[in-house]
Parts: sequence; structure tokens; C-alpha cells
Amino acid sequence: MEKFKLKVFRYDPTKDDKPYYQTYELPVEKGMTVLAALFKAKEEQDSSISFRYNCRAAICGSCAVRINGHATLACKVQVKHMLEKYNTDTLVIEPTGNIKPLKDLVYDMDWVIDKLKKIQPWFIPKEEPPADGKEYRQDPYDHHKIDFASDCILCNSCMSDCNALKANKDFLGPMVISKAYRFIADSRDGAKRERLETVLKDFNLEWCVRCMECTTRCPKEVQPYENIIRTRIIAAEEGFKSPGEIHAEIFEQDIYNRGLLNEMLLPMRQEGLLGAAKRAPFGIRMFFKGKVNIADFFGGHKVKRHDEVKKIMDKAKEVKKNIKIKLISDVHTPYEDKRKSKQGG
Amino acid sequence: MALKYAFYTGCSAKGVAPELYDSTKLVAEKLGMELIELEAATCCGAGAVQEKDEFLSLTINARNLALAEELGLDMLTICNTCTLMLREAKFKLDNDPELKAAVNEVLKEAGLEYKGTIEVTHFLWEVIDAVGLDKIKSMVVRPLREFNIAPFYGCHIIRPPYLTGYEDPDNPSSIERLIEAIGGNPVDHDARLACCGFHSFWSAEDKVTLKLTAMDTQAAKKQQADFMVTPCPLCHTQLDAMQPEAEEKIGVNIGMPVLHLPQMIGLAIGLKPKELGLHKHVISTKAIIEKVA
Repeated sequence: MEKFKLKVFRYDPTKDDKPYYQTYELPVEKGMTVLAALFKAKEEQDSSISFRYNCRAAICGSCAVRINGHATLACKVQVKHMLEKYNTDTLVIEPTGNIKPLKDLVYDMDWVIDKLKKIQPWFIPKEEPPADGKEYRQDPYDHHKIDFASDCILCNSCMSDCNALKANKDFLGPMVISKAYRFIADSRDGAKRERLETVLKDFNLEWCVRCMECTTRCPKEVQPYENIIRTRIIAAEEGFKSPGEIHAEIFEQDIYNRGLLNEMLLPMRQEGLLGAAKRAPFGIRMFFKGKVNIADFFGGHKVKRHDEVKKIMDKAKEVKKNIKIKLISDVHTPYEDKRKSKQGG
Repeated sequence: MALKYAFYTGCSAKGVAPELYDSTKLVAEKLGMELIELEAATCCGAGAVQEKDEFLSLTINARNLALAEELGLDMLTICNTCTLMLREAKFKLDNDPELKAAVNEVLKEAGLEYKGTIEVTHFLWEVIDAVGLDKIKSMVVRPLREFNIAPFYGCHIIRPPYLTGYEDPDNPSSIERLIEAIGGNPVDHDARLACCGFHSFWSAEDKVTLKLTAMDTQAAKKQQADFMVTPCPLCHTQLDAMQPEAEEKIGVNIGMPVLHLPQMIGLAIGLKPKELGLHKHVISTKAIIEKVA
């Protein structure tokens, strides 16, 4: 039978000065998941490997690890598929990123739990339950808005590969904001503003770099990134002012007034005169490199047929009121370019 | 078959990255790609409008897509974020008939209609699939043999897969294959699939953005790359124009040049550094210019 190498991150802070990797050679069994491979290595070769697991069916969220650099549930992916995906004979198994490892693949969950506590991840009713003794009821579209966000199993895959968290551990992170969204967008919840204030503290919500790792990683299609954006939309609707909201406003104005973004005047409009002064070294540098279009300082030119844009944007604001945009249900199936299917692959 | 596209420039190539616009036009012409510029197209919203008013951003991009449909041509972009925003609009409209009808009700105000008949594609993908690596290889007159080149994909050309789909977001190879085709040495480094931080600049410049910019450029430097290459002008602005700020932030001199994808191809197929705008970079490209001379 074909063999492969399982290269496992090992670290026991009570004994080891620093982490190291240990490699186990295993057969590629039919249907073998990465979690099953870890079990096989533990049972047959080295009983000291530590890893978390429980349901083995992608429901409990315990077994998230990094496989060849990307976080996923070890029980959800097969060894054979992973070897094909990375075109390799070696699977490197590491604990999820951004989080302190405790021993081998087991990481410190307290860090995540502390973040979760901040957003009060429980239902705070807006009003008394219905007098007829029935449950709190909800319009189907209102439920649809939180449907996917409710599926989160707190597995940490998104937190692991989040680029903003990589830069700054104080970012609440996709899992936590997504969980906050689940309550912020719940029509029955009574703590919307309080929750928004929490996620917008220091504009934390806007530290997200839109790298799309979280949505790409999530094994349950919770769409953390989309939930972050939906939270930002709600915050804007609720009248919260933030750098992101001002930024969006500038883009909207520029499209309305000229079509393209005026990058030259952006800093001043974003941060005021003082802010613009802070950007002066950058501006001067760009000028001397020939990257600056002087005309833009005086408004610049409009795109052709710009009259259409104003008409469309005015009308969109009017039509918008009656639109219920459905959430995307499948974010894992790769986009298919129709030109390719026309050519037969 | 003649390669002809509706060319969506985006704001950056018309603003802070004029060298991307110029080098794209020059290289495309050499590679036999005819680009019909969409001069009536607007900004894609860049994710900013999208996080304030989703319906508005959809109508704006439905108009952009309709402009390409008028020409009956697929839309070619040169910015990762434009690619993603336009594809997102297309995906949502094509998969939701009610939404499409509502957007078309708006477009009718300007006598336009979104049909869903064209694809949105990126220069990188077309160079590989439509022009072909064999043709590129045959056109190389100055192989970039002595250069270690660090690919920087940029998030929005690989993730999320339901909108990108060109290659596996966890293990892409398009830029490496292109580098090999022009004779260069692709360098593996920790930040190849990482984020430049651009999109949180105004909210978290010090807390997030500049830290990522520093990590990315340092990762390339650690592997002794001569330069990084990216298919996205936003990544370029962040990694090149903002690199001095990132250096200041961490107190380390990095000095990693970053090239736009068409500039790199251009050097290999015999275009001059000056026409490709290599002098318009913030981080000096002098060492590269001297080597290719």
C-alpha cells in the first residue's frame, strides 16, 4: 500500500525548550481522515502525541489543526485528498495559528473564550415572551439573516488563519465578530447597540483586512467575513461613525460625482487637514515618483456617460427599500468560468 | 483567434499606479491582446461601498458589467479587488433572479440592462490561459535568469473560492509558472498567500496594516528575493509606496522592490524599464534596471 509521512508539531513546555517536528510513516488507507491518521500514529507508533477530538464527524469543532499551513478540521478531510491537493507525500500537522500551543496540537482555548465573553454570546430578549406561552417568533427573512452565522461550532479555524489577528492579537477575530453578528442581526435580541459598541471599541470591527481567509477556512460555511461586513452595514445604518464608514462615504460620493475614486484628495477628506498634514511625506514622495496626477487636486475628470451613474444611484436608493437580498448559501464550490465549460473543460 | 477584451482599469491604475496602466497596455499589445478600455466604467466600490450599502454597490457594478456586455466582450481587470467585487456582483445577480430584476429596474433609468452574458477575468489568468505560457516562452528575449522572484498573490485573486475559482486558494501556482516561463526563479516564502493589510489602512494603520506590510516584505527578503511581484495595484501601493512607513514602524530597513505583474513580463519580452515605469516606484528598482541592462 502507498505510504505517506505525517509530520507532527511536537511541543511539551514542561520538557522542551522549543517546538520540533516528528515524522511518522503511515499507509494511505482508503477513506482515512487526517484525524484517523493521527490516531493510527498515536496507537501504533507514539502514544505521547496530544491532540483534541470528540465527535469525528465535523460537528463538535474540537479537532481543528493546520494541515500544510491551512486550518481545517482533521476529521473532515481525507489523507488521500490532502496529498493530492498539495501534490506531496508529506502532511505537516500543526496546531491552529495565532494561538498559544499548550502541548503538541492542543492550544490554549482561554484566549478565545475571553474574547467571546466580551460580546455576550447569548440571547438577550428585547421583550417579554409571547403571552400565549409560545416561543419568540421571527419573520423567515429575519431568520435567514442569522441562519448561517448560527452554524458556528467555535472550532477556531478562522481565528487560526486570520491575517489581522496575525498582526495584532487584540483584534476580536472573525469567529467572535461573526458570533456577535448572530445576535446583533437577530430581530428578537434587545442588546443590538450595546453589542455594536463592543465590537466598535477602538474600531476593532474595522481592523479586518478583508483577506477572506475566514470564509475560505470555515468548515461549516458560516461565512465569518460576510458576517463582519453585515455587522458593518448594520453599524452604518444605526448611525455609528467610524473611519470605515467615512471611507465608504467618500467612495460613494466620488462614484456619484466623478465615477472613479479621487486618491489625491482622499487623505484630507478621510482625516481632515491635520491628517493630511501627517500624510505630507507620503504625498511628496508620490509626487516626485510621478505617481500624482495634479489635475486630481482640482477634482480631476469624470468618466464618460457619467449622467447614467447619478440616475442609477438615485434610483437604487429608492428601490433598495423593498429588496430582501438573499445570503449566498454555498461559499465552498469554486466559481466556474462559463467559457471553460463551453470549451469542454 | 484574436484576443479582445473590455478593459476595466479600476481607480488605482488611473490614480496612484500609472505605471501599471502603461505597462499593461504595452505588454498586452505585444502579447496580442486587444484591450478596449471601458472609459465609462466607474469605481467598483472596492469593498468600501459594499460594507455600507450592498444593493447600491450591486447596481454600480451591474452597470460596469453591462458596459462590457454592450461590447460583447469579456471584462479584463488588472486589480484583485476589482476582480473580486465585479465577480461578486455577477455571482449574486446570476444566482438570484429577483435581485437581478430589481437591479435591472434601476439600470433602466439609464437605458441599460444587465444580462449576465460575459465573464470577469484577470490579466494574470488570461496571460496564462489565453495567450499561453508556450507563447510567452517563445517571446522571451531577456530571460530573468539571475532573479529570485517572490510571488505575492494578494488575497482577492485566490479567496474566497466561490468567487475566484481559478486555482486552489491553498496551493496556487499560476504566478510561479509564469515566473518559470520567463526564465526567473520563483522563491517560496511565508507571505506568498498573505495579506498586505491595505484594506484596514484607515482604521488600523498602526495596529494591523503596517505590521503586515513589514512581515510580507521581510518574508521575501529572508528568502533572498531580488523583488516581489504582484497582480494587484492595491498590494503594490501597500508593499511598495507604504514600505518606508512599515520600515519606520518596525525600525528595520527592508528595501524590497515590488513589481507589477506586467512589468515583470515586459522586462523579459524586451520592453525597456523606463517604458514599463520602473522609475515610478518608491522602493528603488535600480538594482533590477542595472541587471537587465
